[in-house]
Amino acid sequence: MTIDRARFDKGLTYEAYKDQMTRNRDRLEENEQHVELGKEDLAAFRALPRPVKVVVLAEDWCGDVIANLPVLARLAKESGKLDVRIFLRDQNDDIMQRYLNKGQFKSIPVFVFFDDGFRELGHWIERPASVTEVRAKRRKEIFAAHPEFGSPDAPVDQLAEDARVRLQAELAKMRDETAKFANAEVVRELREIATRVAA
Amino acid sequence: MTAVAHKVKITYCAECGYEPQTLELAKALMLEFGARLSCIELIPWEGGTFDVSVDGQLIHSMTRDGGFGDAAAIKDEVRARLTA
Repeated sequence: MTIDRARFDKGLTYEAYKDQMTRNRDRLEENEQHVELGKEDLAAFRALPRPVKVVVLAEDWCGDVIANLPVLARLAKESGKLDVRIFLRDQNDDIMQRYLNKGQFKSIPVFVFFDDGFRELGHWIERPASVTEVRAKRRKEIFAAHPEFGSPDAPVDQLAEDARVRLQAELAKMRDETAKFANAEVVRELREIATRVAA
Repeated sequence: MTAVAHKVKITYCAECGYEPQTLELAKALMLEFGARLSCIELIPWEGGTFDVSVDGQLIHSMTRDGGFGDAAAIKDEVRARLTA
């Protein structure tokens, strides 16, 4: 499987992707509004010597897509240097097979960066490892602070419904509180890949 | 003879799009066991979860066992609990 101009052009623009979403569009657009881009990061993308093409694998049910695709979209919109085309994961398995997480998982989103000759500059999968690490640490802290939630390793169905609802709220709050850090980490990692494009 | 209420819980990652597998397994259990199960509870969760428990005993876990589990094997596990 190779990505060439013809295949790239079959992808959806970000707006077309949003138009075909059947769920979570409100969350995606809310995240899009809340993304904060640093001046230095934005300047680095604007300074790219030529536009970079970005192939995206996504689905509208995926939380990591809802969180991270808007970051890419804002970078594209505000820099004018990223040409993004989105492919639905479950309808484009040939692309997915090439970018499996750890060689086996169909994790999304996948962002693949190409130069104008469709030479791959690098790819990015799911979320930064630093974000996974910070959220795992915060999750442990939540369980430590709330003995009523039991063990973080125990099946959640063993919790009483009211405790489960409270745990879900605590986890959602933790994700909100770490969203700014997470977005900054996404920008940092995408910048590192995009700026590999040759002058 | 005392009737025993047997409850199945399926906890699935709603952020991962596991609804089709959840509904497929729930349907298989409904068709296989009918009213012998007092309840099949579907719990939307996160973090890549796909856990199946019967009467509080975990019989399949994606984290522990990998994948969504074989429906026939899960039905065997449920049957064993019902006849225990």
